[in-house]
Amino acid sequence: MMNRIARRLRLLALLSWLGAAALAFAAEAPRQTIVRAILVEDDAEKRALIGTLAGQGDDAIRTLLIAWRSDALFVYAAPDGAKIPVQLTGEKDDKDAQAALRVDNGQALQDAAGRPLRLVGGDLKAVEHDSNLRRAMKAVLDLIDLVAPDPARRIQAIQTIALAQDLSKLPLLQARQKDETDPRARRALREAIALIELKDPKSETRLAALAELKELHTLSSSDFLKRALKEATDQADRPAIAAATAALQAVDLHRSAVDFFGTLFRGVSTGSILLVGALGLAITFGLMRVINMAHGEMIAVGAYTTYVVQNVFGAGVTLPCFGLNLHLSGMNLEGAAYQWYFVAAVPCSFLAAACAGILLERTVIQFLYRRPLESLLATWGVSLVMQQLLKLMFGSNNVQVGSPVYLSGNWTVNDVLLGWNRVFVIGFGGVIVLGMWLVLTKTPLGLLIRAVMQNRGMAACMGVRTTRVNLLTFGLGSGLAGLAGAFLSQIGNVGPTLGQNYIIDSFMVVVVGGVGSIVGTVLSAFAIGGVDQVLQQYLPAWAPGLSWVPGIGSFLQNLAQDAAVFGKIMVLGAIILFLQWKPSGLFSTRSRSLDE
Amino acid sequence: MTMTPSSFRPAARVAGSELAVTAMIALLLIGLLPLLHATGQISTFTLSLWGKYLCYALLAISVNLLWGYTGLLSLGQALFFALGGYMHGMYLMRMIGDLGQYHKPIPDFLVFLGWTKLPAFWEPFASFPFAFAMVFLVPGLIAYVFGYLAFRSRIRGVYFSILTQALTYAASILFFRNNLLLGGNNGFTDFKFILGHSLVDRGAGPATMRGLYLVTAVTLLLVYVLCRWLNGTKFGLVQQAIRDGENRVLFSGYATTHYKLFVFVLAACIAALGGALFVPQAGIINPEEMKAQNSLEAVVWVAVGGRGTLVGPILGALCINLLKSWASRAYPDLWLIILGGLFILVVLFLPGGLVSLPARLAPLWRKRAADPAAVTKS
Amino acid sequence: MPHPLLAVEDVSKSYDGFKAISNLNFYLFDGELRTVIGPNGAGKSTFFDLITGRAQPDKGRIEFGSSPTDSHDLTTLNEYEINRLGIGRKFQTPSVYVEHTVWDNLVLSLKGPRGVFASLFKRLSSTERDRLDELLKLIRLDAKRHWKAGLLAHGEKQWLEIGMLLAQEPKVLLVDEPAAGMTDEETRRTGELLISLAGRHSLVVVEHDMTFVRQIARDSQVTVLHQGTVLCEGKFDEVQSNPKVREVYLGRGKHGTR
Ligand SMILES: Nc1ncnc2c1ncn2[C@@H]1O[C@H](COP(=O)(O)OP(=O)(O)OP(=O)(O)O)[C@@H](O)[C@H]1O
Ligand SMILES: [Mg+2]
Repeated sequence: MMNRIARRLRLLALLSWLGAAALAFAAEAPRQTIVRAILVEDDAEKRALIGTLAGQGDDAIRTLLIAWRSDALFVYAAPDGAKIPVQLTGEKDDKDAQAALRVDNGQALQDAAGRPLRLVGGDLKAVEHDSNLRRAMKAVLDLIDLVAPDPARRIQAIQTIALAQDLSKLPLLQARQKDETDPRARRALREAIALIELKDPKSETRLAALAELKELHTLSSSDFLKRALKEATDQADRPAIAAATAALQAVDLHRSAVDFFGTLFRGVSTGSILLVGALGLAITFGLMRVINMAHGEMIAVGAYTTYVVQNVFGAGVTLPCFGLNLHLSGMNLEGAAYQWYFVAAVPCSFLAAACAGILLERTVIQFLYRRPLESLLATWGVSLVMQQLLKLMFGSNNVQVGSPVYLSGNWTVNDVLLGWNRVFVIGFGGVIVLGMWLVLTKTPLGLLIRAVMQNRGMAACMGVRTTRVNLLTFGLGSGLAGLAGAFLSQIGNVGPTLGQNYIIDSFMVVVVGGVGSIVGTVLSAFAIGGVDQVLQQYLPAWAPGLSWVPGIGSFLQNLAQDAAVFGKIMVLGAIILFLQWKPSGLFSTRSRSLDE
Repeated sequence: MTMTPSSFRPAARVAGSELAVTAMIALLLIGLLPLLHATGQISTFTLSLWGKYLCYALLAISVNLLWGYTGLLSLGQALFFALGGYMHGMYLMRMIGDLGQYHKPIPDFLVFLGWTKLPAFWEPFASFPFAFAMVFLVPGLIAYVFGYLAFRSRIRGVYFSILTQALTYAASILFFRNNLLLGGNNGFTDFKFILGHSLVDRGAGPATMRGLYLVTAVTLLLVYVLCRWLNGTKFGLVQQAIRDGENRVLFSGYATTHYKLFVFVLAACIAALGGALFVPQAGIINPEEMKAQNSLEAVVWVAVGGRGTLVGPILGALCINLLKSWASRAYPDLWLIILGGLFILVVLFLPGGLVSLPARLAPLWRKRAADPAAVTKS
Repeated sequence: MPHPLLAVEDVSKSYDGFKAISNLNFYLFDGELRTVIGPNGAGKSTFFDLITGRAQPDKGRIEFGSSPTDSHDLTTLNEYEINRLGIGRKFQTPSVYVEHTVWDNLVLSLKGPRGVFASLFKRLSSTERDRLDELLKLIRLDAKRHWKAGLLAHGEKQWLEIGMLLAQEPKVLLVDEPAAGMTDEETRRTGELLISLAGRHSLVVVEHDMTFVRQIARDSQVTVLHQGTVLCEGKFDEVQSNPKVREVYLGRGKHGTR
């Protein structure tokens, strides 16, 4: 017992010494340190040298120390008498020889002629190690990640240690607690210590640990708590049962809060996606009463424009383009300059889709302003043609659109995972809505648009050039679809049929919101997005409740497990029921004519 | 012109030439094709192809009944077509018995999903009369419920189109799921028997196919006659009045909801009948058949043939599908562009469809005969 | 006091905050011919909308029935249910079935069962056919019976709509500006027709043309609507000499032109 405590103390001393030593030796590469540790004679000095490694996160340390422990390090005496530590790796050949890597630089050992040497382990002197040294190495290995410069690595290491619930690791973690500054890592440390203390023989310590876990209520502790509860139940340990139950409850509460906010976030971001897709439609359908079935293809045009811009910024791309294999040479930008591609792609997408829209308006739609059903059919024809053209131009497979760094990755707030691209889409939706509102209410164009949309004939009589306004309005609506495409390219696949995935949803959003009402469109997008995500989140949990339905109960239960599909269908059902209540959507624009 | 007691209104009186043309087409389809097949002039494949076209013509008629005559552009007719097909397909699947790949008494895909016993709702489909009734009941009921809700809240025009499209979309993603126990994305195929007649047998197969073709052609003729009759009744008048000014009809005391519901259910049943006849001739039914695009394609047939006319949809369905069969083989890359382009052109320049072509060309023709210079001026 | 055929009590209706009708009271008795006048936007057409079920009042009661025991609350009924009770309406802008022939327009309006199945097996009887012929003569569209209604002139459409109204044989006829677009001669004939209907039917006629109003009002009641309420009610001469009416309506510009 004494012995163990003494050892622990020694270890502690070593650890605190390490902090200072790490700074002193920081200039020296870890490989050099290891070479010196191998060659030095004195055991204490060896240990000290090894100990200095702990402050550094070089991957070589792990490989080499593990090799050392498993007798794979040898000292090779070069013909000129120099002692070169090497690591023997790889398959042994028929002469038992292996490839030799120099410890000091990781390169293959070469003979005078510069050819790689193969050595036989038996001929060389293995680098030795005793139990003290091995312990020092293990401490280093355990600690390597604990002191890694990247907090995420540190947290990872802490969690790995916690998972093992090894009491002997406790002092290590407690020592770290003093030096750790990152708040999240500190939390992880507290959790890890409490988790390990669950295994402590003393019941007070265990109770204290449970109380601590209750306070921390992390999602990861749930399984441990369940196990602790089971053990406590087996031992009929009343206070422990109570403490474990309380901790579990705290965790569950936290989990439902996380689920709730996660769902909320996903609902809002789904809503934003719907909104971004539907806003263009809110103009072409809502204001102009043109049913543009090719709206989805306008979105696809925007997405493909992003793709092209990305490749022009990058290495260039060869497009099938009607079998011509058109080559677009890239600017081969790197790093930050390349990351700007998305910023450039946004206006390009807008313009490309707006041009496509203007072309469509001139060639087809201008003849159909009075015939909404026919505009639906003609634009469906357009959508078929455009899909096929996209296929011929870009190939029928999905293309890869990479995300710039500022749109990839996640942001975790209190266990709620927020994808950057989704956060961005929410902000983007807000910006577009604001922009559109400004254009429609604060600019002369907006006034003209509203005048023409309300009464084409009258506006024309007042001298408004309705054709121009129609053109611009349709261009604006299509351009918005293009913007949507640029952003959707960051979220889903980009393929020729991309638009088809969004068109039905977009129409639903506009219809539910009330045709002609931008406010309605915004509200309905979020409502539909929210309902959809709530159903996806909670349907699987509710599914067992469907068993009461006579005859097809189990069948429905099965079906409800497909939350995504079943959820979509339920959303549609909800929309139909909603329209029973408000046939013209959330916000309706009235008309008095008899044939509306 | 005076009223004749036999027809409700003078405008519905059959123009002699149209009747002659229709009769001739009917004779060709019902008489000549099976005869050619029986004598070996055309292959069973070709005959079934025509059989499928005729089923599509039924689908087109249902679209036209709604869109052409009632002003309801339903984009959900492919759903009803497919549902009819699925109902009949369930019967055909049961008739495979244990001749499937797994030699189990239940359909292969159920074995594959780990079922050992037939799910309860599959049980009665071994009976043809039951399946036949379901062909009408299931699509009819869905059309009734959906139509009731939609018409009750006065959803019309494009809103109706969008909602029916969403309905179709929802149904198709549902049918793609294996959990629905209707074959997932593979659907039903490998049929063996219908009413005891082999569909695949080298000897008996062609005769069965010929029988199916004949039934289809005669059904089409009967449905055509039904529509013709409907068009001549006061119901037809109300129907078209709803198309042109629904509110006015309401103020004349007609419950337009009931009329629209009737037409919607009737059209669903006609589409379902088409689907049911389609399945044994195509040899397969899967969720692809109820894609939203198929509904729109059926609308193209009607538009190209001539909406609001009786033969238009049939003509359109046959022409476009013949064109499709040829073009999708000859120019697979361009087919969609051809279809889309054709549609744009018809909507923009020939709203009356092919049927209106003679009437449009006639004055041109006459003028040219009278004064060649006038044509260039006009 | 006899039971009113149509009783509108304390009815209000507003659109987006604008009170189109406010606290309106109106009673129509069996066989009466009532003329309603009022400036543009007074709410005359909206008043008809409320009766025919086109719009629901925000508050108030609209009852229809020949006796207290046979009385219907119109606010709970659909357009077609109200029409079937016997309330027919001619719209301000002529609304006929433009794609149908004149004959078909009348057939569609002819009194009779309105159900789906009834319409499937409906055959015109010879009396009905005679009735239609008679109506065609009355509205002077006999020669154009096979014309598409959409091809008719504005005045002819007005006549056709009157014909359609008559074909329904309603108890109450709500006629919104029947004379608009007609020649003086035709206007006079319309007036005569309406007068001949009074007694057998009850009528509410909205019109701006004062000559016409004078012709049909004779010694029946005239109601003046202003800003959604009844400004005054009485004989034509009384109304015409009422200073308030002169101020809000008649005084402005020439009489009887619109
Ligand atoms: N559906 C509606 N939506 C919005 N406002 C309406 C609606 N119906 C009526 N109004 C408003 O109510 C007021 C009354 O209109 P109404 O048509 O009843 O007037 P009117 O007396 O018939 O006028 P006129 O003599 O010009 O026909 C008008 O200001 C109109 O704008
Ligand atoms: Mg009016």
